[in-house]
Amino acid sequence: MYQVAKATFIRNTLVMIRAYALSFVIGHILSGVYTVLFAYFAYQYVFAGQLDAQFARFSGSDDYLSYAILGGAFYAFAVSTLMNVSRSLITELREGTLEALLLTPSARHGYFMGNVLQQMMRTIMEFAVILTVGALFGLTLQQANVWGGIAVWILSTAAFFCQALVLGSLMLRFRDTYITQNTLFVIMAFVSGVTFPIPYLPEWLWPISQIMPLTPALDMFRQCVILGKPLADCLPQLLHLGVLSLIYLVVGAWGIRRMEKRVLETIFG
Amino acid sequence: MLIVENVRKVYRVKEKNGWFSGKWTEVEAVADLSFRMEPGKIIGLLGINGAGKTTTIKMCSTLLTPTSGTITVDGYDAVRHDRLVKSRVNMIAGGERMLYWRLTARENLQYFGSLYGLAGSELRERIQSLLTQVDLLDAADTPVERYSKGMKQRLQIARGLINDPRYLFLDEPTLGLDAPIARQLRKHVKELASERGKAILLTSHYIQEVEELCDEVYIINKGRLVAHDTPAHLTQSLSQQTTLHVEIPALGDTLDHDLRQLALRHGGSLDISLTPEQSWEITLSAKMDLTAPLLSLLAAHQSAVLRLHTKQPTLEDVILHMADRRGA
Repeated sequence: MYQVAKATFIRNTLVMIRAYALSFVIGHILSGVYTVLFAYFAYQYVFAGQLDAQFARFSGSDDYLSYAILGGAFYAFAVSTLMNVSRSLITELREGTLEALLLTPSARHGYFMGNVLQQMMRTIMEFAVILTVGALFGLTLQQANVWGGIAVWILSTAAFFCQALVLGSLMLRFRDTYITQNTLFVIMAFVSGVTFPIPYLPEWLWPISQIMPLTPALDMFRQCVILGKPLADCLPQLLHLGVLSLIYLVVGAWGIRRMEKRVLETIFG
Repeated sequence: MLIVENVRKVYRVKEKNGWFSGKWTEVEAVADLSFRMEPGKIIGLLGINGAGKTTTIKMCSTLLTPTSGTITVDGYDAVRHDRLVKSRVNMIAGGERMLYWRLTARENLQYFGSLYGLAGSELRERIQSLLTQVDLLDAADTPVERYSKGMKQRLQIARGLINDPRYLFLDEPTLGLDAPIARQLRKHVKELASERGKAILLTSHYIQEVEELCDEVYIINKGRLVAHDTPAHLTQSLSQQTTLHVEIPALGDTLDHDLRQLALRHGGSLDISLTPEQSWEITLSAKMDLTAPLLSLLAAHQSAVLRLHTKQPTLEDVILHMADRRGA
């Protein structure tokens, strides 16, 4: 499994460097900068630095800039992981390499792990840019529980990976990437507490936010990084993330196997 | 040995009826098919489009699951022990798919080798050997997107051999290749069987390729096996007739009479027509080759021969004949 993961990691990195080396770096830096600027301008010029009393109650802090910048950074991280993993098989299908891949006796989880690890390399870079630029625009990390934040980040990678399996199954089912992924990403951005706490949403939307792994992951991350809480204080969110991951993993693994078979039958049938 | 026994494959196909409704129908792609692949032998799987050739190859290479019947590879069931089977087989398809274009040949082989569990010096040596075999050593570190069609196809062969498979499936391997490159590939395929003992299954629309390479040929039509023999036997036993076309400048009554007698004696058919150039074209068809008696007859009548053309039946004729017979 590790050999397949390593080989896939190297392959993806080589393809990435050859395909869009410069635009990749610039694109990720810019997307990080835009995230920060959006939060900054919204706070300074739309809200005029004013927050209602409920914000502090809902989020546990009145530091909106840190809240929004970290939300944007974590959302970008979730989207990148979801997109990279879920699109991997359909990209193989489109590029004509799926058959060659499925012909091999390699473990599929090794293949996905390689994709995730390669994605982590990208997101670490993007995350670093957002934090650096964010520091210039009001992100404060003085109280941060760094190790707690890193632990949440790693756990979240696993959770997003599980969710990506389900998304990947849907992409293979509908032979579509654009509509499927963007529908999910828009909903995630709206309901998962990226730029504002979930209680601001109408109550009927709350259940949707609870099925997104981004919701507990982001909550935990903020608790550790903004409020400096230990991870042990985030047990309910940890449990929430664990249950969601397990459900997505079971459904996703089943779905990917089924859709791989379906795709092959459809191609040759 | 790879043994295919009574394999059947049924696809469920949805026929759309408007935007939201549709009807599921079953299409039988392969029906009750049995054959064997033995080390060192090349077998051909022939049939017209939609005969079930590609489906058969995909089932043998574990990409598709048979609806019924069994495929065993060295005793391992292709469905239950698919991983073991995958390590023993490989497939090479025509066209430019199954390669990562942004990677170099060496990187492609490294990646696929890793997926087969190869590593270290074993993988490096195998890559070097394969690149040498397919004559891509000089271009080994050039991205595949800069390769010509022939180079991509040669790399495909190297990819198909990276796991040193005992059983190799070649699905239209020379599709779209220039004649010299196709000839080079055919030579390589022949060597794989004769010198390295690979069992090879070949599908091709180029009948000459099949006649040149295959020890045995299976002809399938609408998923069913309709004939199995050596290419030579198939053309002999299933051939219809040898046809002679002769053009002569003049045709007297006696020659006309003798020609009809010749055709009658050998149970053949004769057709004589006047060409726009005012010469006579004789078309003589019979089960045996009548070139010698016909030329003797023309010599006896002191008739000049402007043109002589013999049409022997080919494997292609056999396939078309079979398809027509089954379709009728």
